[in-house]
Amino acid sequence: MLRGKKASRQRALRIYFATDLHGSEVCFRKFLAAAKVYEADVIILGGDFAGKAIVPVLTENGMLRARAGGEDVTVPESEWDRLAANLGKQGLYPVRLEAAELARLEEDPGALDRLFRDEISAQMKRWCDLAAERLDPAVRCIITPGNDDPLDADQVLAAHDRVECPELELCDLGPVTMASLGVVPTTPWNTERECSEDELGKQIDEMLEQVPSGQPCILNLHCPPYASGLDEAPELDDTLKPVIRGGRPSIIPVGSHAVREAIKRYQPVVGLHGHIHESRGAQKIGRTLCVNPGSDYSSGVLRGAVIDIAQDGSCLDFLLTTG
Amino acid sequence: MTSSEASVPAEAARASAQPTRLFVRQTSGLVRELGIPAATGISLASVAVVNTFINFNAGLTDFTKSDMYLPLVAAAVIWLVAMFAYRYLLRAVPRAGGEYVYLSRIVSPAAGSVAGLGIAVVFTYVLSTNAHFAAQFTPFMLSGLGSAFHSTAIANAGTHLTSNIAIAWLSVVVMLIVAALSLFSVKIVARIIFWLIVVQVLAFVVLIGMLAFNSHADFTSALATYSNHPGAFQDIIAAAKSNGVVFGTSIASAVAIIPFMVLNYNGVLYSYYVGGELRRPGRTYLYASAISIGVLVVLWVGVWALLRARVGLTFMQAQANLGAANPTAYGKITSLNSVAGGLGYGMVLSSDPITKILFATAVPLAEIAVNLAFLTVTTRVLFAQAFDRLLPVGVAKISDRNHAPNVAISIVLVIGIGFCFLTSLVNLGSIVALQSLFFALILLAGGISATVLPLRRSDLIETPGMAEEARRQWLRKVTLVGAATTVLALFTVYELVAHSSVYGKFSWESILTLVIVLGAGPVIYLIARSVRKQRNSLDLTMAMRELPPE
Repeated sequence: MLRGKKASRQRALRIYFATDLHGSEVCFRKFLAAAKVYEADVIILGGDFAGKAIVPVLTENGMLRARAGGEDVTVPESEWDRLAANLGKQGLYPVRLEAAELARLEEDPGALDRLFRDEISAQMKRWCDLAAERLDPAVRCIITPGNDDPLDADQVLAAHDRVECPELELCDLGPVTMASLGVVPTTPWNTERECSEDELGKQIDEMLEQVPSGQPCILNLHCPPYASGLDEAPELDDTLKPVIRGGRPSIIPVGSHAVREAIKRYQPVVGLHGHIHESRGAQKIGRTLCVNPGSDYSSGVLRGAVIDIAQDGSCLDFLLTTG
Repeated sequence: MTSSEASVPAEAARASAQPTRLFVRQTSGLVRELGIPAATGISLASVAVVNTFINFNAGLTDFTKSDMYLPLVAAAVIWLVAMFAYRYLLRAVPRAGGEYVYLSRIVSPAAGSVAGLGIAVVFTYVLSTNAHFAAQFTPFMLSGLGSAFHSTAIANAGTHLTSNIAIAWLSVVVMLIVAALSLFSVKIVARIIFWLIVVQVLAFVVLIGMLAFNSHADFTSALATYSNHPGAFQDIIAAAKSNGVVFGTSIASAVAIIPFMVLNYNGVLYSYYVGGELRRPGRTYLYASAISIGVLVVLWVGVWALLRARVGLTFMQAQANLGAANPTAYGKITSLNSVAGGLGYGMVLSSDPITKILFATAVPLAEIAVNLAFLTVTTRVLFAQAFDRLLPVGVAKISDRNHAPNVAISIVLVIGIGFCFLTSLVNLGSIVALQSLFFALILLAGGISATVLPLRRSDLIETPGMAEEARRQWLRKVTLVGAATTVLALFTVYELVAHSSVYGKFSWESILTLVIVLGAGPVIYLIARSVRKQRNSLDLTMAMRELPPE
C-alpha cells in the first residue's frame, strides 16, 4: 500500500512553461533549449508569441536605413543579416521597404495590418520548423495563442506536424489533461481575442465539462485569476495613461473573475497563466497552484516555470526559472 | 494606374526626407505615457525632505567644525554621476525593478537572488531605523502639540519618553501603525502616503518662510521666550564651550559628512523604478532626475544658508553637541529638543498653533510615509525570494479577504520589531550612519552593474547596425560612467569605514548585526538549496541556469 502511494508520488511528467515572448527570436531559441536544460517532457508556450512592432528598413543607394533604439541607423546592404538578427532579438520585425512602399504603409492601415499578419505567420512557420529541427523527438512542443496573437497564426500552428496547438481543446499529457484558452476579458487595447467575463466563463465551462470525472486537470489559461497577485498591473485612466497615487503608479489587479471562479470550482492541479508580464509569481487558490512566470522578452531573458507532475496527477514540485 | 505611378516618386521623396519610424500594432500592455513632470513628481515624492534635519543634526553632532554646504553639493554630484549609470541600466532593462533586477540580469541570476535577500533584510532594518527616528521625535512632537493646545500634560508627557526602552516601545508602536495601515487596499495606502508627503512638504515650506521673514535678533528673543530663560542663546554657546565643543568649519569634517548627505538624496533617482512606463525612458528619466537633484540642492542649500543666517552656525554646533554630550546642562537652559534642528527652530519662531502642529508632526508623519513605501518594496522583494523558492511560497500568499500579503507583512513586522529593540537597546552607534552604509552599498551594486553591463550584456544597450568603432566607443563610455559611480560609491563606503568611531563603532554587537544583515542572503540561499536538494525533485540551481539560445 505504502509502496503504491510512494510510486504514485514519483515524477511522471515534467512540464516547462513560458509565455509572452512577443516575437523575441532569442527567447524562442532559449525556449527550445529549455527542454534539454531542464529535462522537460513537454514544453508549453502559453500565448502572446506575436511581436508588437515592425521596423521599416529603407533601401537607398545601396544603403539600409532604419530607426532602432530611438536612433537613426544607416548600414551597407551587405549588413542586412546582422541588422535583421539584432532587431529580431528584441522581438521586432525588420522589413525591407522601398520609400514608396513605406509611404503607402503610413497611409493605409489595412496594408499595415496585412503586413503584420504576414510577418507574424512567417515567423511562426520559422519557429515551428526550428522546433522540428532542434527538439528531441520524445519532447512534446505545445504552443497556444494569447489575446495579442492574430487568428491567422492558428492555421500555421495547426498545419505543422511537430507542434501541437490544442486551443479550446483538451490535451492528454499522460497523468493529467490540459485545457487551453488564450481569450482574455476585454482590455483597453481591443485586441484580437477578447470577450466578456460571462462569455469567458462559459467557454471555460464548456471545455472543462468534457474532462472525465476524477481525471486530474491543468488549466492553461492566458489570463491570470483576479486578485491573485499574478495579475497586478499599472492602473490606467481613460487616455491609457498610468494613474499616479502617492508618488507612485497605482498598481491594481487586472485578472479575470471568470478564471478565478473556474479555478475555485474545478480545482485543477495547476493553473498556467501569463498576460501580465510584470506579475511573475505563484499562488495557491484552494488546492490549485497558479503560476505566472512573467515575461522579460525585451531583455532577451526567458522566464519560465518547471512543474513536476506525479503519476497520480498531483503536483510534486515547481520552480520559476530565469534563463 | 498612371496617376498612381506618377504619385509614387513624390511620395518616395517625402518618405526619403523623413526619418523612418517604428510601426506599432494595437497590443495589450503598451503603456509608456509618463512624461517628465510625472517622473519628476515620483522622484521628489520618494525623498523625505524633512529628514535633512536629522542628517544635519547627525553631521553637527558627530563631527567637530561641521558645515553642510560642501557635503550637500558633493552628495548631489555623486547622485548626478550615478544618474547617468542608471540611465544605461534603464536602457538595458527598461522595467520596474532596481538593483536586484539589474544584478540578476547583468551579473548573474544567482548574484541577483543573493543580493535580493540581503536587500530584503536591509530594508527591514531600515524600516526599524525609520521607526526609531519617529520615536526619537515623539518627545519633540508632544512638546509641540502641548504648546499648540496649551496643555502642559501633553508637553510633559514627552519628557517621560526619552529612555532607550521607551524609544524601543515607541518604535514598535510606529511599526504596528505602519503594518495596520498597509492592510488597507493599495489605493487607500497610496492616498495615505500622498497626504503624509503633503504635510511634510508644507512644514518645510512654512519653515523656509519663517526663516526668511525673521531676523537673527527675532530668533534669539524667541528662544529666550520659548525656554523661559533670558539669554538662552548665549548660555547654550557658553555651556558648549565649557564642555569642550569646538566651533568653526573644516574641510576634513565636510568630507566626512558626505555619506550623511548621500543618504539625504536617497530616492531622487527613483523614477527608474517605473522605467517600464516612461515615455522615451532614457530622456525622461534623465530630465526628471536632473530637475529633482537641482530642486533639492537649491532647497537644502537654501535652507542651510537661512539657518546659518538666522540661527548661526556657532549656535547650531553648540546646541547639537551640548544636547548630545551633556543633556543635563542643556536641559537646564532650554526644553527645546536638541535633535530637532531646523524644525525645532521653526517651533521657537512659531506663534500660532497650526504651524506648531505642522512642525511637531512633520518628522513622525514623514517616517510613517517612508515606511509605508518601504514595506511595499520589502514585501515585493520577499515575494521574489519566495518565487525563487529561497523562502516558502506561502510567504507570498495574498489574502482572499483583503487582497494584501498578510504573511509577508507579518514577517517584516516581527523582524522589524526585533531590530527596533536591537537599535534602541544595544546602541549600535550612529543609526543614520548604518543606514548610509546600506544605501551606499546599494549604490555600489548599481555602479557595478553599469560597469559590467558592456562586458556581460552589451546586446542590451547596443543599437542594431552600429558601426564597430562607434560601438566600441559607446561601450567604453558606459563602462566609464559605471566605473565612476562605483568609485564614488566606494568613496562613500570608505568614508563610513574610515570614521568608524562615528559611523558605528566596531563593537561585537554592531559587527554581529552587520554580519546578520549583510550575510543573511547567502546563508538563506545555501540552506534553502541544501534542504530542497534532500527533499524535492527540483534542484534550486536550475532556477538560475543560463539558457543557451543556440
